[in-house]
Amino acid sequence: MRRYIYAFVALAALALVRSGEAASVEEFYRGKNVRIVVGFSAGGGFDTYARALGRHMSKHIPGNPSIVVENMTGAGSLIAANHIYKVAKPDGLTIGHFIGGLFLGQVLGQPGIEFDARKFEFIGAPVSDHVVCAMTRASGITSIDRWMASKTPVKMGGIAPGTSTPDNATRILKVALGLPIQLVTGYKGTADVRLAAESGEVAGGCWGWDSVSVTWRKALDTGDAIVVLQANRRNHPDLPNIPQAIKFAKTEEGRKMIDVGIHGDSDIVRTYTLPPGTPKDRVQALRNAFDATLKDPEFVADAKKSRLNIGPIPVEDIEKDIAGLFKLDPALLSKLKDVLYN
Amino acid sequence: MDMLNALVSGFLQCFNFSTFNLMLVGIAIGFVVGILPGLGGPTAMALMLPFVFKMSAVEAFAFLLGMTAVTSTTGDITSVLFGVPGEPTTASTIVDGHAMARNGEAGRALGAVLMSSLVGAVFAGVALGAAVPIIRPLVLSFGSPEFFMLAILGISFVAALSGEDILKGMVSGGIGLMLATIGLDPISGIQRYTFGQLFLWDGIGLVPITIGFYAIPETIELAVLGTSIAKQEVGSLGGVMEGVKDTFRHWWLVIRCSALGTFTAIIPGMGAATTQWLAYAHAVQSSPNKERFGKGDVRGVLGPGAANNSTLGGSLITTIAFGVPASVIMAILLGAFIIQGIVPGPDMLLPPPKGKLDLTYSFVWVIIISNMITVAVCFLFLKPLAKVTQVRGSIIIPLILVLIYLGAFAEKNAFEDMIIVLFFGGLGWVMEKMEWPRPPVLLGLVLGPLAENRLFLSTDNYGWAWTTRPGVIGIFVLTLFGIFYPVIKNRREARQKEADETSTHAIEQSPGAHPIHFGPQTTFALAVIVVLAMALWQSRNFGYRAGLFPWVIGTPTLLLAVGQLARDLYGKTKKSSRIPEVGEVHADIAPEVARKRTISIILWTVGFFVAIWLLGFSYAVPLTILLYLKFAGESWLITASVTFFSWLFYWGLFEKMLNVPFPEGLLITLITGGQ
Repeated sequence: MRRYIYAFVALAALALVRSGEAASVEEFYRGKNVRIVVGFSAGGGFDTYARALGRHMSKHIPGNPSIVVENMTGAGSLIAANHIYKVAKPDGLTIGHFIGGLFLGQVLGQPGIEFDARKFEFIGAPVSDHVVCAMTRASGITSIDRWMASKTPVKMGGIAPGTSTPDNATRILKVALGLPIQLVTGYKGTADVRLAAESGEVAGGCWGWDSVSVTWRKALDTGDAIVVLQANRRNHPDLPNIPQAIKFAKTEEGRKMIDVGIHGDSDIVRTYTLPPGTPKDRVQALRNAFDATLKDPEFVADAKKSRLNIGPIPVEDIEKDIAGLFKLDPALLSKLKDVLYN
Repeated sequence: MDMLNALVSGFLQCFNFSTFNLMLVGIAIGFVVGILPGLGGPTAMALMLPFVFKMSAVEAFAFLLGMTAVTSTTGDITSVLFGVPGEPTTASTIVDGHAMARNGEAGRALGAVLMSSLVGAVFAGVALGAAVPIIRPLVLSFGSPEFFMLAILGISFVAALSGEDILKGMVSGGIGLMLATIGLDPISGIQRYTFGQLFLWDGIGLVPITIGFYAIPETIELAVLGTSIAKQEVGSLGGVMEGVKDTFRHWWLVIRCSALGTFTAIIPGMGAATTQWLAYAHAVQSSPNKERFGKGDVRGVLGPGAANNSTLGGSLITTIAFGVPASVIMAILLGAFIIQGIVPGPDMLLPPPKGKLDLTYSFVWVIIISNMITVAVCFLFLKPLAKVTQVRGSIIIPLILVLIYLGAFAEKNAFEDMIIVLFFGGLGWVMEKMEWPRPPVLLGLVLGPLAENRLFLSTDNYGWAWTTRPGVIGIFVLTLFGIFYPVIKNRREARQKEADETSTHAIEQSPGAHPIHFGPQTTFALAVIVVLAMALWQSRNFGYRAGLFPWVIGTPTLLLAVGQLARDLYGKTKKSSRIPEVGEVHADIAPEVARKRTISIILWTVGFFVAIWLLGFSYAVPLTILLYLKFAGESWLITASVTFFSWLFYWGLFEKMLNVPFPEGLLITLITGGQ
């Protein structure tokens, strides 16, 4: 009996502490402004998603602070990432949203990075980037078999070295699968790659299904564009019969490169981040709010209209992926560096 | 027949009650956004996107397009009146438009720019309506090689933008192309001329450069003269109707520039930031009696006025027919398409029931109608607007300074952009004094990246075989024609003139031995050479792919600059009395007064920046205005009310409504400990 009483008292005390914490978090956020600092310009994919979240997240944070989205563009969102790490106050009022490919960049020694990815606090990622390779029918590359059998290198569009998609993904697939590929880089964006494919200049490109499925809808429906390959830890529900790239990897090293450089990178690419040292209770409150927002029917409806897919990546997975980056075999790292930057 | 139905149906859809009202709201927002520098269409549009959820497709686009369509019209107003570009797409109207305002012809310039904007917008609509069936095959027949050649064709317009001095113009164009290489090279990812600064990775923005280049020299000039913006009485010539009539007097020029804007903009990557300069260059190139260009020629207003509006139509086509956004605004529109469940593509150009041509035509109508409304509204306010140019300089200057820094900061919320403004302000001022043309720099800056990217894409995709494509050869011939035809024509004209009059415009050449001139001219040419040489020296480490462009551009530019230096040194210039010493600009102002005023305004400009740095915008803005007005000897009443209202405007619009994240001042952070 006594045991139960002790347990009860302990529980009650715990509950008190907890509610005290919650109360203080609520007190802290009441009447305040939470900023989401987006590393890309207004109107882009990162910005659109952040603004959609921003419209609905307030009611899930204790104290209902108002949420404003700010755009801090530059250097492929690296300026925003450094800002969140070095400048922003770790008070739970500043959330960063920059491209998660920078975490791999840190491990590979990308210049200009002034943060340590392991010290950030992560709130979550609303969705994974589902890499697919889409080709035009006119190119003749209508299946992975045809691609493998191509006698001449298949021209694929790229944007700039170091970009997660299309460049990094395409380079890794070329090496890991031994695919005949000539990456032609320098297009302004995936829309320009798509136009180049339609005019016959390149055969296609590898980037996120979320974008391909919306912007190339018509051609996909008529069969003028075809998805021949996908690269993600899970099969996309839209693409049950499209082969997974990793199955065709020639070596263990190739499989690892795909796992780290495409699969892992895709999961952490859209992380929402807090400055190092943000109080744990506020981190937790924001994580809960983030999860709740992604399940909020109003947000879901909003997202559906904007064609924003939802498929949250748990914080534990994000942390595991990032920690994993720092434990990579040096040989693999140098190989990756070679593949991505040379 | 189907197309005609679509055309009518598109028209009627615009006049649905709620659609029309939303368009009016859009126009009102776009009106303000256009007038305020730095507050660009993209920011406003992104803020408005949430409201689009609840609208129907036609409503949404009436709202968004109405907003966008008017920004380049009202942006022209700021450019003309203050010499500060209201939008990056209206910088070219400063060159002659603001010069006209200075000459007391603000009304005429505004009338011309508004009327030509309207003609441009209507033309774009009509041209697009007619071109719908051929647009897709036309654009798809263009590949990277043709895009590259078009960029080269554009760059060749530098000659026409150079004014009287082709050599200086070519060096300026080269400097622009070199500036365009700053940042991460898109082909191999190497940092070029970034000096370890992250904010230079994306290159330097067009907005801070144009603001600095034009607004700062204009402000200095204004302060030195000590007059209102219009240094002459606004006479009968200042009439708005005169400007409207000008549009019809130079009708074919306006139409040609409209066509240039629309059809150039169909090419992805060519927006109004480019087309305005091409149109300006075309206006100069094709006009007889070029002497007045740059000093207030109405033709220099009409060309870009028409082109920056007609461009929207062309960009819109690329966006809806291919889903390739031609600009940031179009990228946001594309987002709106998706919200509305519309997939851009060939369907948009097919008449219903197969496609959505009626919707496409409704866009065209929105552009036309919203421009008509805007121009009509503007005409109501033109007279009072033109009066702004008669307000005392001492009241206007601090307000222009506020616009300069707000505009520079708010585009990207980047503090560094204000430093860029100061730097290019200084450069622009020196270039103006030394009579180096500034437009070629901007043209080089916008076309450089396009040329470089497409050159590598062409060779990577086709080897060197791309040079033999018919489109490439065609554009090449056109370029050569564009370069040599005016030269030949000029020569013929010059020969004729020579026969008529032998000695009116004599080039003063010192007889006998050439004494070496050493002055500001030579110092500047020398500085250009040193910087170019350093840039070339740095580029030795870039490697072949990243280094090719800086080398190919930098070497001839350096040689040309050396040529210019030689000309300056050995007096082979035109009579140099037209190029006065720094500070001795105006005959009616004593040199020592001018020098004092120059130093004083430079100190105020830099001081304002320092105040923003130390105190943040919210303290620096009212403080600087207050001090400036008091030092200029304004009464307390005027000082207090101007300070209050400008602070209210700044705070209400930028802080409260737009939530612009202004950085805290350094001192304020120190005092409050960052709380």
